Order: sequence, then C-alpha cells, then structure tokens
Amino acid sequence: MTTTASNETTSRAEAFLAGVQNGKYKREIITGIGKFVDGRVPDDMRGFYSEVELKDLTRLHGTERDVEARMPVKITRHYFELAKDSPPIQTLVKANPSETGDLTGAPDPGKQMDYSPVEGMIHKYELGLIYVALTCSAHCRFCYREELIAKKEVERPDGTIAPKGLAQIADIVQYVQKHNEEVARNGGLHPETGREKLREILMSGGDPMVLGNKNLAAWWSALSDVGIENIRIGTKELAFYPARFDETFFAMLDRFHEAYPGTRLRFMVHFNHPDEFLVKDAEGHYVDDPEGGLQWVEETRRAVEGLKARNWLTVDNQAPIIKNINDDPDALRIMQRELRRSGIENHYFFCGRDIVGYKAFNVPIERVWQILNESQKGLSGVEAHARLSITHYKGKTEVAAVCNEPLAGVPGTENGFVVFKLLRGAEDAKERGKVAIVGRNPDAVWFNDYEDRVIYDEAGLFTGEAEETAEPSAASATG
Amino acid sequence: MTYVVGENCIKCKYTDCVEVCPVDCFYEGPNMLVIHPDECIDCDLCVPECPVDAIYSEDDLPADQQAFLELNAELAEVWPNIAEQKEPPADADEWTDVPNKREMLER
Repeated sequence: MTTTASNETTSRAEAFLAGVQNGKYKREIITGIGKFVDGRVPDDMRGFYSEVELKDLTRLHGTERDVEARMPVKITRHYFELAKDSPPIQTLVKANPSETGDLTGAPDPGKQMDYSPVEGMIHKYELGLIYVALTCSAHCRFCYREELIAKKEVERPDGTIAPKGLAQIADIVQYVQKHNEEVARNGGLHPETGREKLREILMSGGDPMVLGNKNLAAWWSALSDVGIENIRIGTKELAFYPARFDETFFAMLDRFHEAYPGTRLRFMVHFNHPDEFLVKDAEGHYVDDPEGGLQWVEETRRAVEGLKARNWLTVDNQAPIIKNINDDPDALRIMQRELRRSGIENHYFFCGRDIVGYKAFNVPIERVWQILNESQKGLSGVEAHARLSITHYKGKTEVAAVCNEPLAGVPGTENGFVVFKLLRGAEDAKERGKVAIVGRNPDAVWFNDYEDRVIYDEAGLFTGEAEETAEPSAASATG
Repeated sequence: MTYVVGENCIKCKYTDCVEVCPVDCFYEGPNMLVIHPDECIDCDLCVPECPVDAIYSEDDLPADQQAFLELNAELAEVWPNIAEQKEPPADADEWTDVPNKREMLER
C-alpha cells in the first residue's frame, strides 16, 4: 500500500521513503469459528476448541448472542503456540458464550465521537489519536475497540450513523497544521480549547504494526514534517507476532532516525500475562535464565532487544486486568519484574472499560486494585511504577486507594471508601489532579455502581451523564 | 487464510486491491492476481475496492469458486509480489463478468 500525503511530501520524506523496504511475514492467521467447526484448520489446531465449546458457539450463530458479531475470532500461529499450554491466554483469544450473556455496555466507550474533528482521528487530550488499521494480527476477546474491529455502526454527534473510518495522511497533516497555526497565532494556546500545540500523535487501530514498513514510514515522515515531536505506536504485535520486528523493520527505524533525529517513537506495547513471552517447561513452570531472571521466548526477546538497542525510542507496557486472564497477583508480579528487566516500563494497568458485554470480562474495581497492590508487594520501586487507571469519559482516572476502615464521622464510609483521582482531562486538562471519594461497593465494575454512595466529588465523576452506559441496542448487538 | 481472488479477476486485473493492501500480499500472474494465504491479515480492505467483485472472504467463497482457494495458495508461491497499482489491460472492461474465464488463466 502506498499512501501518500498528496503534494505535501517533502524532499526529506522522499529521500527517506525511497530507501524503505517492506518485509515478508507469515502470520498464518486463522479467522472465524467456522474453520474450527469444519476442521479447516491445520491438524494440530483441531483440538483448540472442544466439541462442546464448538457446539455451544455454533448454537449462538446468527442470533442476538452471536459472539462473532460482537468480535470476530482471530489467532496467529505464534499466539496459538503460546496458548496451547496456557489457560489464561486461551481465555484471552478463544470465543466464549458468556461474552454475549449480558450485552449491556457502551457502543462508543469514552464517547470518542464527541472529539473527532477528522475521520479516523480523536483529539480529546493533549495528544491526538489516529486509527490507522482496522484489524490486529489476532483478536483479544475483551477488546475495547470492538466497535471498530467488528466494523459496527456508531452514532456521531450530528446524528449520522456509520462505522468508524481510517485516518488518511493528508487529512491528519492538514488538521495538525491548522491546529498548530491557530495556536501560534493565539500566543501558544488554542483560542477555543486552551490546548498547547499538538506535539504527540498516538497511532492505534487495530494495530499499526500490521501495516508494512513503507506505510508506517509514510505516516512517520508526514507527521514529523508537520511538527509532531513524539509518535506513539499502540501495538500488541510483540505478543501476537514478534517476527514482525524483523531486520527490514529495524533498518527502517534507523533510516527514520537518521532522517528525522528529533522525532521520538514511543512504543506502547500490550502484554497481559507472562505466558505471552516466557518459556515454560513440561510442568508449566517458567525457566530460570542462568544469566539472571527468567527465559524469554526467543523471537520475543530478539524483538524487544532490537527495540531497546535504539536509545531514541521508548517501550512502555499497558494492559487491562481481565477476569480469568491476569486477575492473578503472582502472574502480574512476574510480568512487571521481567518487563522492567528487559527495559520495558510498566506504565498503566486498567480496569476493564464499559464496552458492550463488559460484564463478562471486568473484575470488580476494588478487587483489581487489591490484585495490583498485592502483585507489587515484593517488587523493587522501579519495577512497581504502574498505576491502576479506569477510563472515565472525562479522562483517565487513577484508582488511587481502596481503604478498609471508616473515615471517622463521615457517613457512607462504614465499610471503608475508594479514592479516585483524575490523571488527565479533555482539552486543556482543567480537572487534572481532582479527586472523588465514594463508599465501598466490592461488586462495582463501573462508575454507575457507585452512584448511590458518592461522598466527595471534586472531579465531577458522578454528575449526571458521567457514567452513562447504554442498554443493549440493535446497533450494538448485530455488528 | 481468509481472502481469495476468484475467477472474475482473470483478464481484468485492475489492481485497485494492491493499492489498499496493508501487507502487500498480492502476487501477479500474466492475467490475474492472487492472495498469499499465510500473509493475508484478513483486514477486508481489498474486497470493496475490486471493480469486478472478484475477491471473497474464504467463508463467503461461492461453491463454483472453491478451486481458487487452492489456486491462490499455489500461485502465490511462484508469481512475483505486486505492491503498486498499475494500468489494467486495455480490454479489461470487455472481460468483466464474462463466464468461464478460468480456461484463459495464464500461468
């Protein structure tokens, strides 16, 4: 695919792009439950779903509870090899009838369409998010972009209904240029939103790493040429298909840095569980590395080392904590320790979002806090940097503390209380740092479960439409 | 694999699909394109681009096109990769939807 920024391509970009080579990749993807049902998968994959599982899933096909209408099934050969001996990874990637047992949830979590100035772009916070691919190499069942991946119809603020579209280079370049010119003309702050200039773009989707090198290179040079200083790449490819990080890719990285030495790449990677990157022995135990730490899957280790060898880019992990996948303090402790040892920063852990079907995946908020807190006992300070965040539509919100004791003299705290803190806010982040305190509800999985026990709400997390969660609708149930 | 180029591509070969493929998994024969099954990432972008509706999801492959499943896999191994759109054959329009084109497939 040769995406060009029309007549905007600079001579610097042209010189850089001329030397970029695409690699060849064999992901050996299997898409669709049907292939497992009909036995059209390779022999060794036949037992991946049991007969009973296939029967249960087939029965739902074409009904309101069709799991593939919510999220198509998809797996790579590499991820299948990891999943074979790992119940948590199987939960991550195998469809399950429970996913559509309760279709409550928001068709557009985070109300992104309210902040979409250009097709394929969300400009809510200080950075801009762009959708550059509609798919990933495999599909997480709990994906919070299920509306995008399954190409569902989403309602926009103007009332029109259409699937979310992909960003185009020329459109995004034009938007950034215009935004930053308005900011410059207004003395450094945008006249309407109060934001500073756009310095950072997050490439998301889908997974940008499914794109070829030339396509990525075209994005990076165009964004750099229009003044973007930091480009984030949100990817799960290190888990799904680490061979994507091959020599052609690293050669492209080096050429890019040579051509654009001022641009920083920030890889936001996504490991949920150490089974996604550690070697296990026949008994299912991780294997000590004689040089220290634990042994990594060779292909993943090589990919991470290739990234970390380039000191002008960073690698951060962020992952939700999901029921029966990684709601396990021991697994999370090992993961945080091993990632940090390999130079990957532990950035965020998330509570599951209020996606359609979220009740099948989400662990109660207070429980997630306890699991993460427990996992960080025994970690060194630098290994325990990750914070627990839950994404309120107002912005990323830290679950800062879950307290067991009553707050003396404060009604509603008899069973203890929970402290939320807004880490980010829309536009110029006026509300950053503000706090909300609620009485405990150990069953709460979303903000609305605290509505009846709000004690203090400086952050405005519980005012009216704050935690609006849609009832199941035709649009969200039928893809 | 999930996507398959079917019979209607033969002698039409518009290559609009090549332009949108994010992983460059199309391979070019003398008068037809095919998709490499292990390289395709099932993104679905090529299907609506084809002016003659020759690309199918494997699951939607009509019974009379089943032979092309195997053919795509086989020919993708021998034909050269194509990553950029090119001019279609001058008479491409005349061959749209003409039946029984498979006999004219050149290898």
